[in-house]
Amino acid sequence: MPRPWWEHALRLDRRLLFVAVALAVAIPVLFPLGLPVVPGKESRDFFAALEQLQPGDVILFSFDYEADSRAEMDPMTRVVWRYCLGRGVRIIALTNYAGGPGVAEPYIELATKQLGQVYGEDVVFLGYNPDYSGTILRLGESFRATFPADQYGRSTADFPLLQRANRYADTKLIVTIAASSLAEYWTIWAHGKYDAKVIAGATAIQAVHLYPYYQTGQVSGFLGGLKGAAELERLAELPGDATRGMDSQTTGHAVIVLFILLGNVAYFAQRRRKS
Amino acid sequence: MSTDLGVWVAAFFTLAIFSSLYRDNPVYRFAESLLVGVSAGYYLVQYAYSALYKKLWIPVVQDQDWGLLFGGLLGLLVLGRLHRRTEWLARFAIAFYVAAWAGYLIPSAMKAQVLEQIAGTWLSPAGSVPLGAAVNEVLLLVGVISILVYFYFSREHVGALGVASRLGITFLMLGFGASFGYTIMGRITLLIGRFQFLFDRWLGIGPSSGGV
Amino acid sequence: MKTTLPILFGFLVGLVMFVQYFFSHPSLQRTYNLVLDWKQIVFGMMLILGTIGLVRHHGVRIQRRERAWGYSAVTLSGLVAVILAGVGGGVQGGPYAWSFENVQSPMQSTIFALLAFYVASAAYRAFRARTVHATLLLCAGIIVMLGRVSIGEMLGFSVGDARYSLAGLSGWILDVPNLAAKRGILIGVGLGVSATALKILLGIERSYLGKGD
Repeated sequence: MPRPWWEHALRLDRRLLFVAVALAVAIPVLFPLGLPVVPGKESRDFFAALEQLQPGDVILFSFDYEADSRAEMDPMTRVVWRYCLGRGVRIIALTNYAGGPGVAEPYIELATKQLGQVYGEDVVFLGYNPDYSGTILRLGESFRATFPADQYGRSTADFPLLQRANRYADTKLIVTIAASSLAEYWTIWAHGKYDAKVIAGATAIQAVHLYPYYQTGQVSGFLGGLKGAAELERLAELPGDATRGMDSQTTGHAVIVLFILLGNVAYFAQRRRKS
Repeated sequence: MSTDLGVWVAAFFTLAIFSSLYRDNPVYRFAESLLVGVSAGYYLVQYAYSALYKKLWIPVVQDQDWGLLFGGLLGLLVLGRLHRRTEWLARFAIAFYVAAWAGYLIPSAMKAQVLEQIAGTWLSPAGSVPLGAAVNEVLLLVGVISILVYFYFSREHVGALGVASRLGITFLMLGFGASFGYTIMGRITLLIGRFQFLFDRWLGIGPSSGGV
Repeated sequence: MKTTLPILFGFLVGLVMFVQYFFSHPSLQRTYNLVLDWKQIVFGMMLILGTIGLVRHHGVRIQRRERAWGYSAVTLSGLVAVILAGVGGGVQGGPYAWSFENVQSPMQSTIFALLAFYVASAAYRAFRARTVHATLLLCAGIIVMLGRVSIGEMLGFSVGDARYSLAGLSGWILDVPNLAAKRGILIGVGLGVSATALKILLGIERSYLGKGD
């Protein structure tokens, strides 16, 4: 007796599902669809904080991610760095991840080799410090004491930028691009104790946890995942991988939703047959 | 197609990891084992460079910041964990670290995660916000209270407590559904990143060349 | 003594950190800064200890020729190679940075990219609308998944100047029920974490010190 369709559906080889997901994601990477991206209010507030910066203002930028989250985080970092450096904003960068220096290096090169920024005057990379909570709190007292040397082993007391800006109060904004709960910790300690203005780029998984902090104003704006990065690219008029990636995001989600619905229809068909 | 050896190596390892989707195989196991070793080595160098060289050696030797030496001593005590006889020494370092963290965590968490969150839940004065926003504020207040009731396990959830608790579960399910949706989004994004690398940088057939 | 002295030491340090949050006397401030600096050094050593543990684990596997010990040899070879690259060539540029960019980074990214397939497979096999609550979760998940991509803007209708779309509904779910859920959990976590931290400071909670006298 031939098996009913729902039995085939419920016993589907998962590798067929893998192929479907892979095709749904891969095809738009090769053949972009150009689907629209409409910025939400969280992204608009994030961008508004950047728009308010004036030439010569100093921001603290934290690379709070490493290799495993680059696909979501790099597009955000790229736009923030290009937008800020293009407007003459100075950046003091650091990372709370041991893998962060590797991720940050292309941006230091972008600043110094492509955009003509002077290291030590326009941009400084403090590097990595273990113990994120201690680092965030210590930075509120003194950047130079928290990082006696930068990532390249040079004394931070020698940099003009760090003579100008040595604590949160000397900066206009803290930007954290965070793959974990670090966005929350910057909010709890940098904003909570030192009243620093914080905006955050977060992975999609973490972004959903930032809504309570955003609603109270503890975080002044945030980006959520690739969609947030694409929205920022749109607002800053710097299209890139995130905007292109949203096409694959759309088709990928559509395929997964279809499979979830198929699974449920098959399940209920099986239940009805059994009853 | 790329002529950069590094890109080819990266592509090989990317495909080696993807091969596990078909089935477990020696190439995947080799790549996975290498990843553990390479990343452990990378992190070890960063830890030593940051905590010992930049944070301890440079300030002590160059700036004569002798106060940091006690931190170095505490750090050495951590290594007491390596042997059963000296394990107890590490307790000083662990107790120091955990208690210091606990000391500043209490006021920080109470302020940012409790008091400010409660303040943010309170209703705006009547007439100060549009009707839609006012309804949302009421829903938010009801939702937060009902969820806190759900997490109150000191009494049985019957009667009014039971009703509030079940309402709390409803809000929680909607919140977890949102988390699920975002989780899918995050995972798909990581896959998009790998395809962009393979097509753009390795094969050179994508519309972009990648990079910052 | 081996437990009491560390707890007493911890209590004094924790008390300084707690009090400093509210008062900023210069000597208190200096102590606070020193404690934070020491913390970073201690944490760095803890991370180094963790890596030593990994080396020990794989070293024992190789020594005893346990099953698949060859993979442990691969792990340790990779570890030694990168350490030599970092120590010999420096942490900037050179083989150390090359191995991060072309070996570690692609593999780490790809390991996490596999999750896209597994989460899709798990959702297909296990995500069933069996109960009312499961149905709510499923509906919210699907609305947010579709609402957060371009489909969300396209699926909707206009009434006068107002636009009602799946993206708008997704936004409402995130701004109201999701916010309520996360806030409720956050308040509970904040209270719980504060209570646990207080127990640690007062020496009531000691499990973090490990077993034994």
